[in-house]
Amino acid sequence: MTNIIDPIAEIDESRVSDGQDVVIAKSRIIFRRFMRNRTAVAGLFVFLALFLFSLVGGFLTPWNKDTIDPYNIGMGPSPDHFLGTSQAGIDLLALIVEGTRISIFIGLIVGGVSVLVSAVYGCTMAFFGGKVDAIMLFILEALIMMPAILVVAVATSGSGGLKNLPSWLLLIVVLLFFSWMGTARLVRSLSMSLMQRDYVKAAKYMGVPSRRIVWRHLVPNIGSLLVLDFTRGITGAVLAEVAFSFIGIGIKLPDVSLGVLIGQATGQVSSFPWMFWVPLTVMFLLTGSLAMMNDGLRDAFDPSSSSIGRAKRTAVRTVKKTTK
Amino acid sequence: MSTNISQTPSERLREVGLYAPGDAVLSVRDLNVRFNTENGVVHAVRGVDFDLLPGKTLGIVGESGSGKSVTSMAIMGLLPETADITGSVRYRGKELLGLSDKAMCKHRGSDIAMVFQDPLSSLTPVYTVGNQIIEALTVHNPIMSKQAKEARAVELLRMVGIPSPKDRLKAFPHEFSGGMRQRVMIAIAIANDPRILIADEPTTALDVTIQAQVLEVLHTAQEETGAAVVMITHDLGVVAGMADDIMVMYAGKPVEKGTVEDIYYNPRMPYTLGLLGAVPRVDTANKQSLVPIEGAPPNLALPVTGCSFAGRCPLVSDACLGGEPELLSVRVLANRPNTNGTDAKTAASHRAACIKAEELGGETDAHHIFRAPAKPVSKFDGVDRGEREKVLELKDVKKHFPLLKGALIKRRIGTVKAVDGLSFDIREGECLSIVGESGCGKTTTLLEIMEFHPDQQGEVVISGVSNKVATDSKTKMAMRKEMQMVFQDPTGALDPRFTVYEVLAEPLENLGMPKAAIKKRIMELMRLVGLQPDHVNRFPNQFSGGQRQRIGIARALAVNPKLVVLDEPVSALDVSVQAGVINLLDQLRAELGLSYLMVAHDLSVVRHISDRVAVMYLGKIVETGDVDEVFDNPRHPYTRALLSAIPVPDPNLERTRERIILQGDLPSPLDAPRGCNFATRCPVFAALPAAKQEKCLTLEPPLASEEAYGQEFACFFPDGEIDADMLVVHT
Repeated sequence: MTNIIDPIAEIDESRVSDGQDVVIAKSRIIFRRFMRNRTAVAGLFVFLALFLFSLVGGFLTPWNKDTIDPYNIGMGPSPDHFLGTSQAGIDLLALIVEGTRISIFIGLIVGGVSVLVSAVYGCTMAFFGGKVDAIMLFILEALIMMPAILVVAVATSGSGGLKNLPSWLLLIVVLLFFSWMGTARLVRSLSMSLMQRDYVKAAKYMGVPSRRIVWRHLVPNIGSLLVLDFTRGITGAVLAEVAFSFIGIGIKLPDVSLGVLIGQATGQVSSFPWMFWVPLTVMFLLTGSLAMMNDGLRDAFDPSSSSIGRAKRTAVRTVKKTTK
Repeated sequence: MSTNISQTPSERLREVGLYAPGDAVLSVRDLNVRFNTENGVVHAVRGVDFDLLPGKTLGIVGESGSGKSVTSMAIMGLLPETADITGSVRYRGKELLGLSDKAMCKHRGSDIAMVFQDPLSSLTPVYTVGNQIIEALTVHNPIMSKQAKEARAVELLRMVGIPSPKDRLKAFPHEFSGGMRQRVMIAIAIANDPRILIADEPTTALDVTIQAQVLEVLHTAQEETGAAVVMITHDLGVVAGMADDIMVMYAGKPVEKGTVEDIYYNPRMPYTLGLLGAVPRVDTANKQSLVPIEGAPPNLALPVTGCSFAGRCPLVSDACLGGEPELLSVRVLANRPNTNGTDAKTAASHRAACIKAEELGGETDAHHIFRAPAKPVSKFDGVDRGEREKVLELKDVKKHFPLLKGALIKRRIGTVKAVDGLSFDIREGECLSIVGESGCGKTTTLLEIMEFHPDQQGEVVISGVSNKVATDSKTKMAMRKEMQMVFQDPTGALDPRFTVYEVLAEPLENLGMPKAAIKKRIMELMRLVGLQPDHVNRFPNQFSGGQRQRIGIARALAVNPKLVVLDEPVSALDVSVQAGVINLLDQLRAELGLSYLMVAHDLSVVRHISDRVAVMYLGKIVETGDVDEVFDNPRHPYTRALLSAIPVPDPNLERTRERIILQGDLPSPLDAPRGCNFATRCPVFAALPAAKQEKCLTLEPPLASEEAYGQEFACFFPDGEIDADMLVVHT
């Protein structure tokens, strides 16, 4: 053939004739790229460990969050109680396990569902445009202007016939209601600009149905935003839960969360320091690990980021030395 | 020879002459520029030497990233402070490098002036044009009176050919078209009678007809001021007629230097040879394949060990990898032992950085060296056009946009006739190109065809399926299979999140092809467009521009269409890469029996690739027919002007060629004339007696053919005299 064909391609021809071994699945490429970011992997491990701890941590101690140990009231860490007990004589480890589980639970659900809602809402606005866009945008603006903190206070205080629901479930619903608007607006403007791109046009001219264009071209291209928003949403929900519980309008006893534990302990930092520092550390581990993962996830999904690996780094470094 | 390669910088300086000839206005010696980037230190310019004599023009030619713009910015002192600049830049013997920004300001704009590439962004939108010219005058002439400055501004605007300059002084940049803005830029640049004018790709962003106007203005500006000009461009045609000397740059280094004749008729460096062969010619019907230069320039963040071009050079040998060849006089190389004084002087003008320079010469055939593929032959070549099937037919297609005004209640104040009654057809194995200035409706035509909607005005028939009957998705699907599109910008047309595999699989999955078959087809496609099959897992941004365009082509071919619509397929690519893509398109058309509908503004490319051509002006076809007939015997004055405006990479021809310089810009479609659309700019119309002009103004010329000519054209006076004012010959 002509010289348009690369010689290397011709050598490879025999190997790739069936094409089986060359095509790598996209998920594998994304996984590889994520694994290259060490901070992110560390973050992932910390998060998984915490998650595991919140599920099976109860087996580490014979106590549970409802049992009072009358012999150890307000005691520091000891062989009986690894993390000490509260002033009511409840094992702190059991409380932390329970609190972490609730916090992660709230975070995951609020983060995940709000991202989904905002993606669908934003894409719909951008795709249909016109009147649909105007009405949906109005609803969105109205929601943004609502004072969230009052609604949370009213809803969790049990008025309005919602008394029989557990307070953490109530908090999830309320947090969800107020968490998706900002992202939805961002998604809308992003997908509006994406609609004008040549590759969307190309897909249209190939006869790809609109539904599929939205799913295959729009959603993945706002994907890194969504992924970031998911992890950020978890962090945000955990922090919001902590904040609301701290001022006493979020989770109500007997439910426990990290926020409740921190809030309760603030008054007694000097007398029962373990009651304050342990839940705070766990909260930092939780939000910190998510923040560490954030970066790696974005790099993995975003092809324009420079996470191709560092094959040539050493060579470049030598050049720097010689020229400067 | 080996001693030359291992010369120290000081030895080299002695040879080129540390001090410039006394009369040079600008002499650059051993200019080196380094930038620090994330990936290490990039050595962007690596030893540039040249002397600029007063009144002379130096053309700096090279592909993007070759360091030509960085060189000019270094001379102007416009590089960021983080850049490391060494060497010497002397303006009339005074060293400019190392001057403070304040000291440099004295020279910038008064001694050395610059015209930038993008006229749209080089003028401040919030000041009037007059203000900006006067500002340039005030900076360097603080004592000049207000009246004097205004008078000078008017004079400058008149000099660059802006009609009614006095009123236009108060106009804002957005009221000017691109070409007019570039004229204003030139006016600002020559405001203080600079000795040196640096023009960095001054016409790249402009249409051909406007390009001709602006080049003309540059020419006058140089004549008026006697300034020396440094013309930086990637287009070998643009400099052929203007420059006295040429410097070809590659990978930050000049690889060949000489007079225009030396470079164009006697290139000694394989890169120059390749570049010249890679440019299609608008003036010849010779349908040879173009010379493709494979590969990409070296990464300048790494030290260059051998010849920088070695990786792409077909003549490469082990000796080339041993060290970077110096820029040596070619004739000295040829007969080194006995150089006498006079010989050395003539020889010094032509230098090439190639150890094989003596083997190459005027007779060397670039096609042979670069192993350009033979011109592919299609199975349809022998078949008469009338006997081939129609793959696309347009009947009176129109696209009118209403022009609305008013905030709350929209009022229709006019109609923009973007496409106004277009009819043509394309047969099997044929390439039809639509050419014209931007804004003439070329791209709208393509989009109308691609939309394929029953509500359109006019009929589009694709492989026998009309848009009037294509109401259900099944017929539409069948039509999509017949016609695919390649976009202008290869970066924008590929989803950055798709691997190449996914990009190519999309149209196939859409057809419901089984997975195994898709894989097989994709491997086939990758090979077809000359890409390595194991690159399918890469993302588009890991490919070069030319490779991306190949992916775009592969995607279009995936479903085995009969017709491929090409929207400026090579305009975003470098010349050397462009040739490879054009060759590929040529080859695919022959091998697969494809038909192309191409839109392009580069008429040389059009001439090379098409069989038929349609010239569009303001939404209408003004001339159409066989490409050779139209290009060799243009009948419509617009076609004649368009063709004469294209620069040809042949200095002798370029200097003696008659050029029709159209006045003004494309009129706004809003106030399109009632009779012939072109009358407002027509060079023939301007020369007609008033009685005949009446006909052009009231009647619309129909598209018709004439005896003895193959093409159809829409003009009442096809062979009329051209108005003398619009005709320019440089002698």
